[in-house]
Amino acid sequence: MIIFQFLFILFSLFAIITVIKRKKDAVMSNVGTTFWIIFWMLTDVVVLFPDSTTLFANRLGIGRGSDLITYVSLAIVFFVLFRLHVKLHEIERDITSVVRKDALKDVDV
Amino acid sequence: MFLAIVPAYNESDRVGSVVRSLLSYVDTVLVVDDGSTDTTAKIARQAGATVLSHRLNRGQGAALETGHAYARKIGATHVLHFDADGQFSVGDIIPAREAMKQAKADVVFGSRYATEKHNLRVPWTKRVLLRPIGKIVDRLFGGVHLSDAHNGFRILNKKALECIHLSHSGMAHASEVPALVKKYGLRYIEVPVSVTYHEYGQGVSGGIRVVRDLVLGKFSK
Repeated sequence: MIIFQFLFILFSLFAIITVIKRKKDAVMSNVGTTFWIIFWMLTDVVVLFPDSTTLFANRLGIGRGSDLITYVSLAIVFFVLFRLHVKLHEIERDITSVVRKDALKDVDV
Repeated sequence: MFLAIVPAYNESDRVGSVVRSLLSYVDTVLVVDDGSTDTTAKIARQAGATVLSHRLNRGQGAALETGHAYARKIGATHVLHFDADGQFSVGDIIPAREAMKQAKADVVFGSRYATEKHNLRVPWTKRVLLRPIGKIVDRLFGGVHLSDAHNGFRILNKKALECIHLSHSGMAHASEVPALVKKYGLRYIEVPVSVTYHEYGQGVSGGIRVVRDLVLGKFSK
């Protein structure tokens, strides 16, 4: 086992423990807990058996499995960033709306 | 009723004199104190303004829209947008209103570039660098063609006030107003106004924030 695999599995175990803790604190739903546990277990499989992704990559016309992982990860990261930006924008707008209502609440016409 | 809307954020040094000078030209001066941490609201009230206070700083666009909401509530017939830092001249109000009346316009936009005399008072970086970029951005985001879209001096009549609801809290409202004028087919004119710079104002980073807000605004309701 190379150092990276060891460190990654350690990190994923930490992530899974955090997910379980959050579930115990009633912060995370059953679906969320299952999703994240499966996600981290799958990443462990990919890290332990890097060639396992090459099969999928070849079917999609991509040479190496690691390239497929990079492309998919980048796409997901950009999508999540974009969603966060939009959400933040919406929250900003809601805050403005509340602040405005508060400023106008004592106006008598 | 002619209402002046003065968005103000930490403008305790100048807001008093701005309010006093405006009172001779409009029926009511409304200062929207945008979460100032100084005595802006107190000084504005003492100077004779009606004051609405934002508990948090939300930006100039948000403050103007709060002013619009107030104007709609009290049934104002015209509103004037006027900066609190004393950069505009009250002497430009009457000529602007007369031009508005003559042209039967719904919106008047002040312009620093309408005459050569006013033009030369503008810092060269704004004239040569920021203005052309600003014009391209405004064109991309669907506004009417203006020589000086990012000028805070505007007059709106009741019809425009009903149509123009600003959704951008920050400085992107300056691009949103021309876009809404075009969208609702409002009649508009530009009038020359003089601007005295006490501070440089919005620079390159501010311009980048405007573009960012305009782009993100396209993706949300």
